[in-house]
Amino acid sequence: MDVGIILSIIISMVFVNNFVLSKFLGLCPFLGVSRNIKPAISMGMAVIFVMTLSGLLTWLVYRFVLLPLGLVYLRTIVFILVIASFVQFAEMVILKKSPALYRALGIYLPLITTNCAVLGVTVLNIDTFFVNGKSLPGGLVLTLLQSFFAGIGFTLALLLMAGIRERLDLADVPKSLRGVPIAFIVASLMSLAFMGFNGFRF
Amino acid sequence: MSLLEIVAAILVLGSLGLLFGLGLAIASKKFCVAVDPHLEKIISCLPGANCGACGMPGCMGFAQSLLKGEVALNSCRAIDEDSRKKVARILGVELQARVRQVAVLHCAGGKKVGDKFQYNGLEDCLAADLVLGGGKECVYGCLGFVTCKEVCPFEAITMSSEALPVVAPLKCRACGKCVEACPKKLFSLIPASSSVVVACNSHDTGRDVQAVCPVGCIACRKCEKACKFDAIHVVDNLAVIDYNKCTSCGECVKVCPTKCIIIPKANLKNKEI
Repeated sequence: MDVGIILSIIISMVFVNNFVLSKFLGLCPFLGVSRNIKPAISMGMAVIFVMTLSGLLTWLVYRFVLLPLGLVYLRTIVFILVIASFVQFAEMVILKKSPALYRALGIYLPLITTNCAVLGVTVLNIDTFFVNGKSLPGGLVLTLLQSFFAGIGFTLALLLMAGIRERLDLADVPKSLRGVPIAFIVASLMSLAFMGFNGFRF
Repeated sequence: MSLLEIVAAILVLGSLGLLFGLGLAIASKKFCVAVDPHLEKIISCLPGANCGACGMPGCMGFAQSLLKGEVALNSCRAIDEDSRKKVARILGVELQARVRQVAVLHCAGGKKVGDKFQYNGLEDCLAADLVLGGGKECVYGCLGFVTCKEVCPFEAITMSSEALPVVAPLKCRACGKCVEACPKKLFSLIPASSSVVVACNSHDTGRDVQAVCPVGCIACRKCEKACKFDAIHVVDNLAVIDYNKCTSCGECVKVCPTKCIIIPKANLKNKEI
């Protein structure tokens, strides 16, 4: 496998096509869980975990169930089904095997069930790594990579936002802009900044 | 679209759903974590403010520790009497007598105390305190920003027209958040049955106090002499009440020349109830 492809996937997922700031997916946790750095880290870890494994699962389902049966138009609903049941399953296993991790991920794990960024990355995987109804060579590994780094990109955006908002708490913001309004302004400025990465071409 | 395709789609989606459903059902049996049925009941009795006064991570953590027997029920300072009895019944433990406490403010200065400079920073007591102890002339007194009001999980603190926080004794659950939050350490918890409060925190000498505040303790020791129960003493230029001995007779209130020993009106009402 070409190192160039891997590198371009990493840079594309983390910076150029950042899920939050360029594709505008997963905005709910981006604004909801970015008040403090600590929960933002927990949320980011949970998203990375869920994205990577649902990327893997949906690729398997698509490759071995939907493609052979010619039911590719069912992919959205099937992917939602897969992601939701996987998250539920993961929650049960984690609660049993590692209560400490369960407490760290806390409420964020079930919240991710319906996170559009997760569905977004699975759909993107299929769009990128299947050409003319055939899987590209090494598609599974690339899928895993792409999903993982999409999660990293999400976490990066979330952490940046949380860091900025923690400092914003101490800043003298006009009263009418305090709280969510200034967060929206910050988010749009960050998004503009990330558009700058669009200049990178590989 | 032919009938076959429709049937195939239904079959595939249905069987996938069934498969995941069964998988989850098996998993929920296999990875089942038994939850003590008492836990829910106890949590519903607790105040639910997650104030942390018990030292546990929130009311849920407290309920878990209660069930494990790691903490005593009395550690929860916020719970009211009825709920406490309920929890004790669920746990099957004897209820220990507990004195209900309320938070009181040891300052009556407010607008009566002048400014030593104009403070223009963040409207927060902690921040104001960092700048030469705040803008008030009395370095011991209330700064009047609403830090205590904001930390109170029970909304028991309101600001009076004198720019001083007032604790509503019936709402106060003695969680101690305001005691911790106040940078001037102006709050303390006293038994709710007591009604006499020294509304001053100044350790300055009488002359210095009088220079900045008309209602401060000037350490004249009249209260000490008036008290028949040896319950009030001037320690380090400030009258301090020993609530173990105080009977709320009110003698000290009568003799105090600056009227800094007070019976808060709100506390009187509480007593009647």
